[in-house]
Amino acid sequence: MTDYKALEKQIQDQARQWLESGEVKYVIGFEKGDNSPVCRPVFIYKPEDAGKLAWGPLCNNNLTKYLVEEVQIKPKKGEEPDLRPVGIVVKPCDSKTIVELMKENIVPRERVKIIGVISEGTINPKALDKALKDVPLDKIAGIQILDGGDNFTIKYDGEPLSVPKDELLNGKCKVCVVHNPVVYDIFVGDKVTQIDKDEFEDIADLEAMSDEERYEYWKEQLSKCIRCYACRDTCPLCYCEECVFDRTKPYNWNEKTVDLPENFFYHMVRAMHLAGRCVDCGGCERVCPMDIPIRKLNRFLLKRAKERFKVVPGINVEDKAMFGDYDIDDPGEGIK
Amino acid sequence: MIEMDDKSDFEPKIIGFLCNWCSYAGADLAGVSRFQYPANVRVIRVMCSSRIDPQFVLKALTEGADGVLIAGCHPGDCHYIEGNYRTRRRIAALDKILEKYGLSDRVFLEWVSASEGKRFAEVVTDITNKLKELGPNPHKARWEI
Ligand code: SF4
Ligand code: SF4
Ligand code: FES
Repeated sequence: MTDYKALEKQIQDQARQWLESGEVKYVIGFEKGDNSPVCRPVFIYKPEDAGKLAWGPLCNNNLTKYLVEEVQIKPKKGEEPDLRPVGIVVKPCDSKTIVELMKENIVPRERVKIIGVISEGTINPKALDKALKDVPLDKIAGIQILDGGDNFTIKYDGEPLSVPKDELLNGKCKVCVVHNPVVYDIFVGDKVTQIDKDEFEDIADLEAMSDEERYEYWKEQLSKCIRCYACRDTCPLCYCEECVFDRTKPYNWNEKTVDLPENFFYHMVRAMHLAGRCVDCGGCERVCPMDIPIRKLNRFLLKRAKERFKVVPGINVEDKAMFGDYDIDDPGEGIK
Repeated sequence: MIEMDDKSDFEPKIIGFLCNWCSYAGADLAGVSRFQYPANVRVIRVMCSSRIDPQFVLKALTEGADGVLIAGCHPGDCHYIEGNYRTRRRIAALDKILEKYGLSDRVFLEWVSASEGKRFAEVVTDITNKLKELGPNPHKARWEI
């Protein structure tokens, strides 16, 4: 059980302290949305604003994308770059992203100060909408969510609702096995005991399908894709300054037409670029306007990387990247 | 578009990426030694099998190739020492992607050395037969819509 209010207080105090001492340039965190219980990213520059920082199961974003943007900014001509670290509030899955970013030499450790918060699962806003269908619209923004072990208690001025966690949790949280941040300067919360479970149970159904069925499955899903590229833009590991899907010269890899083979190409190439790196933060699926289960494919690769090459991304900075390394004894011909 | 209801009439189009130092020479040897093999493979010479970005393979499949052959030196024999070890990992990941999208068994990774002309002929015969069995690439149909 997590006491969100206590965690929120700790986060605010830490941010205030860092900002007062000038140790950090600013703090990236969450604040409560205006007309919605869902939290949104916020950048805190002044210590007196630290009280805005919020914490709860509706802090869904992976804020490390902003970290990448921060380190990629080029200073204006003649301007001294401000190289002070940036404070950031992370969930365990976001902290795994930071590990990957450090591994790939994108974010130097000294450029970031991490407030790592434990998390036992975040809520999918779409599922929450469903659960709140009986709550009057003007009350929704003011609801309070408490962790009750197996369920979430939703409080508003009316009869409190109790909804089983399984109904509300994000898909990624249901299968997640890392509930403590892996890299942090400040650890917020009490260490959660590691759970032992089959982390790939969610892809078992697709795995059991035949080739034709799978093709049909993806055909249905990917024909919905409108190639808005939101999934790429939100991905903290998609930090290429020039993405292959944006360039048309010297060779146009991906036609801009939105048709099935091109959509397949887009998703397969992106999966390939993320193989052995994706830490399953669920960002792509969260932003997809067409509800395409993008995470599923990356999970297969996660599984393959783990089973075949013993590579688990986002755990240890010292680990070699999957494609940055090879083993002479890797399984060879007739790859399957 | 030609109707291809009868599988036996179907001639798969295979894009073959061959490494300059071993497999391309192997294919050459198959030619000068007059070994017969199906004319389904269109060869593209690359300097090393690790030059093949998985994107090339996916692009070929997107444009309607029925299969892709990637051939390089045997492990340990790569002209650039470790290129083919890297290829092996990449193709292992690519293969998983294709499998999970229901396009498996269309990409083949083979090691063919410069002296294995006969083997090259066998490999091409073998994958041509496999692809005939499998039928055309579903993405080929895109122009019919
Ligand atoms: S966010 Fe969804 S619709 Fe947009 S490009 Fe990604 S998969 Fe396609
Ligand atoms: S899709 Fe690939 S090329 Fe584009 S930003 Fe992501 S990793 Fe880079
Ligand atoms: S040169 Fe042949 S595989 Fe590298």
